Amino acid sequence: MDNTLLVSVSQQIASYDSMDTIANNLANISTPGFKRDSTLFEEYLSQAKPSEDEKGQQNISFVYNAGTARDLSGGRIDQTNAPYDFAINGKGYFVVQTANGPRYTRDGHFTLDATGRLVTEEGDPVQGDGGNVTITPQDGNIFVAQDGTVTGQQGQLGKLQLVTFDNETALTKEGATLYSTTQTAQPTKAAQIKQGAIESSNVEPVVEISHMIEVMRAYQAVSNIMQSHDELKRQAVDKLSSTQN
Amino acid sequence: MRALSIAATGMQAQQTNVEVIANNLANMNTTGYKTQRAQFEDLLYQNVQQVGAQSSDSGSIVPSGIQLGAGVRTAAVYRVTSQGDLSQTSNPYDLAIQGPGWFRITQPDGTDAFTRSGNFALSPTGELVTQDGYVVAPGISVPQTATAVTVNSQGQVQATIPGQTAPQVLGQLELDRFPNEAGLSGQGSNLFLQTPSSGAPQAGVPGTAGYGTIQQGYLETSNVNPVEEITSMITAQRAYEMNSKVVTTADQMLQMTASMGQG
Repeated sequence: MDNTLLVSVSQQIASYDSMDTIANNLANISTPGFKRDSTLFEEYLSQAKPSEDEKGQQNISFVYNAGTARDLSGGRIDQTNAPYDFAINGKGYFVVQTANGPRYTRDGHFTLDATGRLVTEEGDPVQGDGGNVTITPQDGNIFVAQDGTVTGQQGQLGKLQLVTFDNETALTKEGATLYSTTQTAQPTKAAQIKQGAIESSNVEPVVEISHMIEVMRAYQAVSNIMQSHDELKRQAVDKLSSTQN
Repeated sequence: MRALSIAATGMQAQQTNVEVIANNLANMNTTGYKTQRAQFEDLLYQNVQQVGAQSSDSGSIVPSGIQLGAGVRTAAVYRVTSQGDLSQTSNPYDLAIQGPGWFRITQPDGTDAFTRSGNFALSPTGELVTQDGYVVAPGISVPQTATAVTVNSQGQVQATIPGQTAPQVLGQLELDRFPNEAGLSGQGSNLFLQTPSSGAPQAGVPGTAGYGTIQQGYLETSNVNPVEEITSMITAQRAYEMNSKVVTTADQMLQMTASMGQG
């Protein structure tokens, strides 16, 4: 294959990655606490021999997927009035203790388990300052203050942990709206908890759809280049072979 | 191209969402119905380039890796157990629970079921039963001679019998509560069953700490908020549409690929 085709293929592979990321964003439009991703591309230079009328090394730019950037902006805060729904306003994550160690989430939809522990829908306990937070029926309606203090009718039950990290974009998405990291979690006071509300996904449909059209058109443009290149080659073969006859 | 299957998970999720909303709207006038909500979460990610990987021997670290998502799934369809409004019916056997707690119903096979729907009636033998004829625990028998039946807020059932000056106490209704009400499993007919995630029922007298009170002559309406449901339905429908748009676009891209070289 020659360079035109190779460069075109690199762009098409990049387009596929872009499309997958946009599809994932749109699929998670109703996932609470979801943060949208976008694909970052970089130029990769490769040296080629100079062709006719050219001097010196020639650069060919390929494109490749250099990384997934996460948009950390806050999602819309939706009122649900459910007592165990919490939205975080500002930078911060809830701590969830899973079988594989602590995980972090911004999806504050929690529920109780059979023993009254505050858990995620996967059944993993949400961590307060002193470990699990347990709410018994005797505690009645609980009230959660902005700083995460959980109070029932029988007094204070614990304080929901809110943590932050030096580099938030370096958290790894684990699915189930959980993040994992090797960084140390630092308690934060900069964020507020709002009870009875949920942070919705920060995916903006307009942005995703226009992005998708852009990707599709770029893909189309490159397919056209490949086709015209193919046509050129065909003509070259035709003309060169006819002169030899 | 994974965009096709990713968009398919998105469409499936929104379909579930619409089904849940449809069920809520269908049960808008069901006594004691608790509205349901679908909860979504993202699927596992494929780590093409691990976050925090080194990009050089000298230890430069890539600021963000490449993580490709696989779509969305329904994590749970949970019940919102908030109190419904009380509507007056004046029927002496209509009981509403104001506050936490569930009526215990003995099913024909002897097992217990729980309900918030207190539209009870009398069986031919004078027992307090549900509209399906299941006995309301612990079992209250109303004598045929009774002219009036009173249920006070603490759940004590009394009957006025002609010729007797003091009302006759027929029994005491109890309420059950659970560590996790949202974990009860719905059986239809407004009945719920205990599950390992709801925890064991704890019986108590209505009006004591942590239990609601009983209101005679009232029914608890469903806690479905039609405005909320309709707006979520519109959002769900649009989200479905956008996911199907992804399918179309991905299809167009594949079509371009397939038609390449057919000059």
